[in-house]
Amino acid sequence: MTLLLGICVAVIFAVSVYLMLSRELKSVAMGVFLFSHAAHLGILAMSGQPVLPGGVVKGAPVLGTSPNGIHVDPLPQALILTSIVISFAIMAFLLTLLVTTFRTTRTLNVDRLSEEDRPESMSHSVSREVTA
Amino acid sequence: MNPNLIALIVVIPLATGVLCALARRSTPLCRFIGLTALLANLGLVLAMLGSLGAGQPMFVSMMGKWAPPFGIAIVFDGLSGTLLAIALTVAVAAYIHSWNLLPRHIEHGWFHPLFHMLILGVNFSFLTGDLFNLFVAFEIMLMASYALMCLGGTRQQMSQAFKYVLLNLVGSTVFVLTAGMIYGVTGTLNYADLARFVAENEGALPTGFQALAVALLFVFCLKAAVFPLWFWLPDTYHTLPSSIGAVFAALLSKVGVYAVLRMYPMAFANPGVDDLELVRAILSILAGVTMVLAILGAVGATNLRRVVAMILIAHVGYLIFGVTMMNAESFAATLHYMAQEMIIIAGLMLCIGLIEQRAGSVDLRELGGLARRYPLLSTMFFLLAMGLVGIPPLSGFYGKAVLLREGASSGAWWLVGATTFTAVLTLVAIARVWITAFWSEVKGPLLDLPEGAKAGPDMPLPLAYAGIGLLVGVSLILGFGAERSYSWTQQATASLAAPSIYIDGVLDLNPIRDLPDNSTLALIEPDLQHTVTP
Repeated sequence: MTLLLGICVAVIFAVSVYLMLSRELKSVAMGVFLFSHAAHLGILAMSGQPVLPGGVVKGAPVLGTSPNGIHVDPLPQALILTSIVISFAIMAFLLTLLVTTFRTTRTLNVDRLSEEDRPESMSHSVSREVTA
Repeated sequence: MNPNLIALIVVIPLATGVLCALARRSTPLCRFIGLTALLANLGLVLAMLGSLGAGQPMFVSMMGKWAPPFGIAIVFDGLSGTLLAIALTVAVAAYIHSWNLLPRHIEHGWFHPLFHMLILGVNFSFLTGDLFNLFVAFEIMLMASYALMCLGGTRQQMSQAFKYVLLNLVGSTVFVLTAGMIYGVTGTLNYADLARFVAENEGALPTGFQALAVALLFVFCLKAAVFPLWFWLPDTYHTLPSSIGAVFAALLSKVGVYAVLRMYPMAFANPGVDDLELVRAILSILAGVTMVLAILGAVGATNLRRVVAMILIAHVGYLIFGVTMMNAESFAATLHYMAQEMIIIAGLMLCIGLIEQRAGSVDLRELGGLARRYPLLSTMFFLLAMGLVGIPPLSGFYGKAVLLREGASSGAWWLVGATTFTAVLTLVAIARVWITAFWSEVKGPLLDLPEGAKAGPDMPLPLAYAGIGLLVGVSLILGFGAERSYSWTQQATASLAAPSIYIDGVLDLNPIRDLPDNSTLALIEPDLQHTVTP
């Protein structure tokens, strides 16, 4: 099971990095969303029964051990839940930013956006966008 | 003093943020609420710092009365307290300054709530004693900073904001993944418990622990703008209004340095543990390369904001250098240097805002003769800049002198060389700014206006001056009162050189760990008792 999760995490990370390297900000945003999913799955994969150096199997906190393996440690799941909520908020913010960026610059292409950075080319590229 | 009062340091900015959001239609009301809250918060921090002492090295508050390491600890000790006081001073100065210089269309509306949310995140990062909680604090701080960056809504801001958000998102995701993995291999996220774990398992650290320490370092270095992760910083600070830029420059990057200073000597690069040699080596390399390359960038830049941003990055290198030496004196020097640098960098950013308003430019090629036209502004700039260079009676000297002494006695010669090189080039960069912008003949887009012109340059801006004046005053106090301020930082960082002070201080509140197993279980689920194998 851990191996399967591990492979999933690796694949999702690969896909998200590929998307993040794209020139279109929409794909970049999708890549970021996938990136956080991969991280959450990674935490889940880590949350089994960690074996501490002395060979002690550490289970749920407070209990300290995991009697007959019935208890899974709930803390990583709490971490994931918190992190999901936060990344959800950031996703909303990022999409809003995308829309606003598109409204002010009329483009979501990284190359054109960095053209916009240079003040001298600004008016020029705006007029080109409008006529296009 | 009741340790649970610490929570107020976080609750005050939160409440202020909410109140300002409700009152956002009335700017004067927001200003009043905001300043009162910042001053109250500063007063509380100073009062708590005053009651710290030999018998009471720290205040620890366990939320919900969960015993550490299970509950989340909020820890107020000399290190976090000093940085909180400095951070709030910077916030007060930038806040006052913004009343005069922040454009109305930016200030009206969401600026006030976001500013306090940013302070909330910064305060929380300084206070928390739990790695995952630090992630949450970072996120609060970053969310506020993302929104503050976009307030103006200009094209340039939008494309810079997108880069900044993306970069920090990747950083945060790596952070949460690393935190989860650290929990996976160590079974704890509490700083003190992590430190105890590392010390107890010397020579038998779990597989990959070093890699996790380095991954975490990546996150903090991204926040602190250490080489090679600094490239976002000069571009970003460029587009911000000066009042907001000052807060970002002084607080956001230093939170990353604080996290390294707090956690690496104690746990992830513990000097007593041989397994972590690699992490210490990486820290030294990052420190040296950061200072040398960044200061070269500062010497070459022509935009004043960029000059200050590059100097800021170079001096983050000093702080990391201080961390790598791992002894009591170097930690004290690091804290002293960090405190005065936060003040000075913020002060310089505020000065630059004023220069932009007065002369109409922040480009060195377009500026000149400021010293003749604006003697007060120039004096303040000079005092701050010389403090940064470290001319002896001013504040930057002491931290740097001790860092060099400790570096020489611990044999880190190439870092001592890099530090000296950086100090000299800082002087060159500052001298270049001073000679071109403040001396030479009077020029600048707004400086040549005829007498009595209606444009901005001669508007009285008492609050902007007051904000800068406050920072100049604190920097002078830190410099001229170096004997006391330095011995204070020695006391404040004692727990870094002797982590047992911190570990015992936090974990001693722990009754559950010592209970016999059965009684612990009885509290939770009586049915399980018979299934426990002894």
